[in-house]
Amino acid sequence: MSGFLGPVAPDGRIPPYQQTKVAAFLISAHGALARQFAFMLPARLDAAWQTELNAQFYRETEIVSLLLRATSWVVDPSLGYMFASWESAWLPAPVEGIADPRLAQMIHLAALAHAVHAGIRPAALLPIEANAQDPFVMALRRIEFESGRLLQAQILFLKSTDLAPHRDAVSAALAQRHAGVRKLWRELLESIGIGAPPA
Amino acid sequence: MPFLSHGSYRIRYELDGPTGAPAYVLVNGLTQYSELWGTYREALSARGFRVATFDLLGQGASDKPRLFISQDDQVAALRLLIDELGDGPVFLSGISFGGLIALRYAIEHGKRLAGLVPMSCFAELSPQLLLLGNALRTGLILGGTSYLQDLLLPMNLSDQWLKPLLDKLDSVKRQGWLVNDVYALQNLMESFLDFQPLTPHLSAIAVPTMILNGEFDFLTPRGLHETLRVEIQNSSLVIIPRAYHAFTLEKGTLTADLLARFAEDVLAGRWQGNQAVWVASDQPGGELTPFPAGYDHLRAIPVKRALP
Repeated sequence: MSGFLGPVAPDGRIPPYQQTKVAAFLISAHGALARQFAFMLPARLDAAWQTELNAQFYRETEIVSLLLRATSWVVDPSLGYMFASWESAWLPAPVEGIADPRLAQMIHLAALAHAVHAGIRPAALLPIEANAQDPFVMALRRIEFESGRLLQAQILFLKSTDLAPHRDAVSAALAQRHAGVRKLWRELLESIGIGAPPA
Repeated sequence: MPFLSHGSYRIRYELDGPTGAPAYVLVNGLTQYSELWGTYREALSARGFRVATFDLLGQGASDKPRLFISQDDQVAALRLLIDELGDGPVFLSGISFGGLIALRYAIEHGKRLAGLVPMSCFAELSPQLLLLGNALRTGLILGGTSYLQDLLLPMNLSDQWLKPLLDKLDSVKRQGWLVNDVYALQNLMESFLDFQPLTPHLSAIAVPTMILNGEFDFLTPRGLHETLRVEIQNSSLVIIPRAYHAFTLEKGTLTADLLARFAEDVLAGRWQGNQAVWVASDQPGGELTPFPAGYDHLRAIPVKRALP
């Protein structure tokens, strides 16, 4: 089992069935983040940190829009079941040890975003022979690069002194989210013949 | 691929060379991974040493803690690896961040070691190193691992090494980019946020210590190595000519030879530190030359040392 997408076509393009599955997963994950950031975003901002919520919402939306347009889609009947299982995995989960529901929701969202931005590296799947001028290849590179930047907000929040009293609860929620997201990502990659790195 | 367990974390390691032989343990720099010691594994095994390499927590195939990596955990992982090696003599060497972890191990568990070789190392964050570290961290955050590599390559390697690779730098960077994750590198860098200088504790290191410093290393310049030489009584400082911070990559054969000779001399009872300053040869096997008497080894121009 290869660690990379492919084998690529003579023009360096990624096979469309692989593009379809990878893009569907990323759209599901980043789309869920976009929806949840939109839900958290107040109509009128009353704190400086909320500007970051606005930025995160639009970056996630941009990723979805980019993939919709850059992917060479093919019909894949297995996606229906997979998409449903992914969507249910992104739903908010209670954070053990956090009584305040609003804080729990923020930790859930930050943990999910951390797991997606840190744990999913789509550009690392690209083989050397991938055509750098191909829109799907460029999209994966942009998403990974942008994820590294988006991640900074989650790192700042989850490491903040405000959450220091809840460090164990935060670490446990984050570990659970990382394990869940990586499991789904690994299963997806295995379904297209790619051996993903261990979780 | 064998792993050690430290709490819930797994640490990937590799052992080469004859079982029961004196061992060398090599500790990675911050953006490195264990495969980069390939030249050393080969050279030191051929000289009769067992060689242990590993990925630090946050690197390569070892677990990558998601929010925090403490340097205490890195020392604990190193201790687990050294415990795997049995009761024979153990020589410990590390480059840069790995040198710092090796120093911490030697301060806490020095009796377990036969010898110590810190390379491109530091015991404290000088203002320059602190600000460079902050700038590199910002580079990682804003530009990702690839941009951090773009900064480190010209800082730490010579023109002679870089010139033939200028049109294939992407392939030079690729493996490091693949195995290192932004958040994990950031966590490694942020393990310095509560860093306390080791300088007051260096005198606890009594084991023979050879300090290696590249002639042109401006990330961790001579002054930082001088702190080690002055504070560690049984030490000597060896300057690697025409070398930068990452001389372990650029001059692997020369450095592996220096490591082997140091250990052979220690084991034969020939080695004496005397806090001396030496200049290594350009070639493996060449003689060490004493730094010219009366001249200041902290200067880049030949200035007479001030008399005490």
